[in-house]
Amino acid sequence: MNQLPSSMSVLHDAPSTVSTDIALSVRALDFWYGEHRALKAIDLDFPRRQVTGMIGPSGCGKSTLLRVLNRMYDLYPGQRATGEVVFDGRNILSPGVDLNVLRSRVGMVFQKPTPFPMSIYENIAFGVRLHERLSRADMDARIEDVLKRVALWTEVKDRLRAPAAALSGGQQQRLCIARTIATRPEVVLLDEPTSALDPVSTARIEELLDELKQDFTIAIVTHNLQQAARCADQVAFFYLGELVEVDSAGQMFTAPRQRRTQDYITGRFG
Amino acid sequence: MTSTPPIALSDAPPRGWQTTGLLAARRRLRDRLATGLSWAATALVLVILASILLSLLLKGLPGLTPGALFRSSAPPGAHGGLANAIVGSLEQTGLALLIGTPLGLLGGIFLAEYGQESRFSTLVRFVSDMLLSAPSILIGLFVYLVIVAPQGHFSGFAGAIALAILAMPIIVRTTEDMLRLVPVSMREAGMALGAPRWRVIVFLCLRAARGGVLTGILLALARVAGETAPLLFTSLGNMTWSLNLNAPMASLPVAIYQYAGSAYDDWVQLAWTAALLITAGVLLINILVRFGFRRGT
Ligand SMILES: Nc1ncnc2c1ncn2[C@@H]1O[C@H](COP(=O)(O)OP(=O)(O)OP(=O)(O)O)[C@@H](O)[C@H]1O
Ligand SMILES: [Mg+2]
Repeated sequence: MNQLPSSMSVLHDAPSTVSTDIALSVRALDFWYGEHRALKAIDLDFPRRQVTGMIGPSGCGKSTLLRVLNRMYDLYPGQRATGEVVFDGRNILSPGVDLNVLRSRVGMVFQKPTPFPMSIYENIAFGVRLHERLSRADMDARIEDVLKRVALWTEVKDRLRAPAAALSGGQQQRLCIARTIATRPEVVLLDEPTSALDPVSTARIEELLDELKQDFTIAIVTHNLQQAARCADQVAFFYLGELVEVDSAGQMFTAPRQRRTQDYITGRFG
Repeated sequence: MTSTPPIALSDAPPRGWQTTGLLAARRRLRDRLATGLSWAATALVLVILASILLSLLLKGLPGLTPGALFRSSAPPGAHGGLANAIVGSLEQTGLALLIGTPLGLLGGIFLAEYGQESRFSTLVRFVSDMLLSAPSILIGLFVYLVIVAPQGHFSGFAGAIALAILAMPIIVRTTEDMLRLVPVSMREAGMALGAPRWRVIVFLCLRAARGGVLTGILLALARVAGETAPLLFTSLGNMTWSLNLNAPMASLPVAIYQYAGSAYDDWVQLAWTAALLITAGVLLINILVRFGFRRGT
């Protein structure tokens, strides 16, 4: 089988197909840390409501790509991107983009849980209040909803006012996911979200991804190939700043087309 | 997978639990010595502190009568009190903090979050650190030249300004240091939700750093509450009851300075009592805020 990811063909022959349309589309993306070119001519589509897994050896540019998709790199002078990232009909790399709106539509979860120094409730309400005015009842409902979706509600419903820092690492990470989806983004970026967690917490977050892709487009960076195989619909393999191969998870892990991919997933390097 | 020859760990004789030999003995001796010295140093500091507090209590407490608290200054032998100095101190340090805290916070926030390594902020940091170590009498002289001399009279307001100038660099420094301790990941997490920078700073970074920032403000309060020199040139002191910030104003440190050097026993007694009051006041605020802060989190 030499099947292209459906996302690739869709761009050419059926731009308005509903079932497999593209949420984010990266075109000819280059990225520089000062003089160091960390990404080279990346072309990659993120199909809507699917999980795209990003794998590759350490330092190959996976996090860098994620940080382009919500313009996180903008915080740091000397970092710049050229090319295009099309989201909702606009190139988000162009200067006129409102970054705060962009980041509310393209949310991000980090490797290490980053609870804010406030209560569990306020951790979620903080993000929501940035973009919406909700009544007290609506806010309560929103918080209950997202906590249920990340399977945290039963554990914390009696201590919503307790500081979030008192939660376990796995709970904190689920809270961070809840916080991110509470602003109702269209895309959720996750950078090795389970690498600091125990196997049980990891399994819960993987289940969660399956559930979340009903509503969100997900891009997840992982060093755990089993995780990519389990969770991702589409997998992209990066090597030294280049996108080597992008395929369905099944294809990638059974019959990769590129030699370098094969070497990596069979553990010959990386 | 290249294989390197294993290091011959197994060739060494089994070590067992016995630490023997000269090396081990010397190491143990040095450890004991260092531990002993740091205990001694701690004890010395505590003894000094305790003896200061004890003599303050012994000499100040007998004078802590209603008269001392509720009467204003009077000539020796006329049963004067510290009431005018107490309110003067409260008013001047209060106003000084009211002015110095927001400015200090803003300065610290600017240095930590916006200026970072720019040339302007290097300059600001340098000036602020100079102020931090400047003798307080210089600050008094400066305010004298800028406010008192042009106005033609001493005033409590000028005193408060001098104290504010002393408090500000302390708050700038602690705020900057505490904000720098807030991990980048927290800022990024805030920004990733679409929060504007100022919101991240105020609601996340300052909040995360609030314990340290508060401590800095308290430190500044403690520092200025006992300052005498800058007040001698600015608010001067006042023997009568006065709440008017536009007139000379009494304060506890200046009262101590005036009374302690006098030849009258009742004035010397008042000086001890005033010293006790300042110390107790600073201590009390420290405890209250810490207690309140701990419950707040
Ligand atoms: N802030 C930075 N300044 C300069 N170079 C950087 C910076 N961050 C990353 N790089 C470089 O860019 C390249 C890509 O880094 P990136 O963090 O994207 O890798 P990664 O694929 O996420 O790796 P890992 O799996 O270890 O997280 C690396 O060579 C790295 O050294
Ligand atoms: Mg990374």
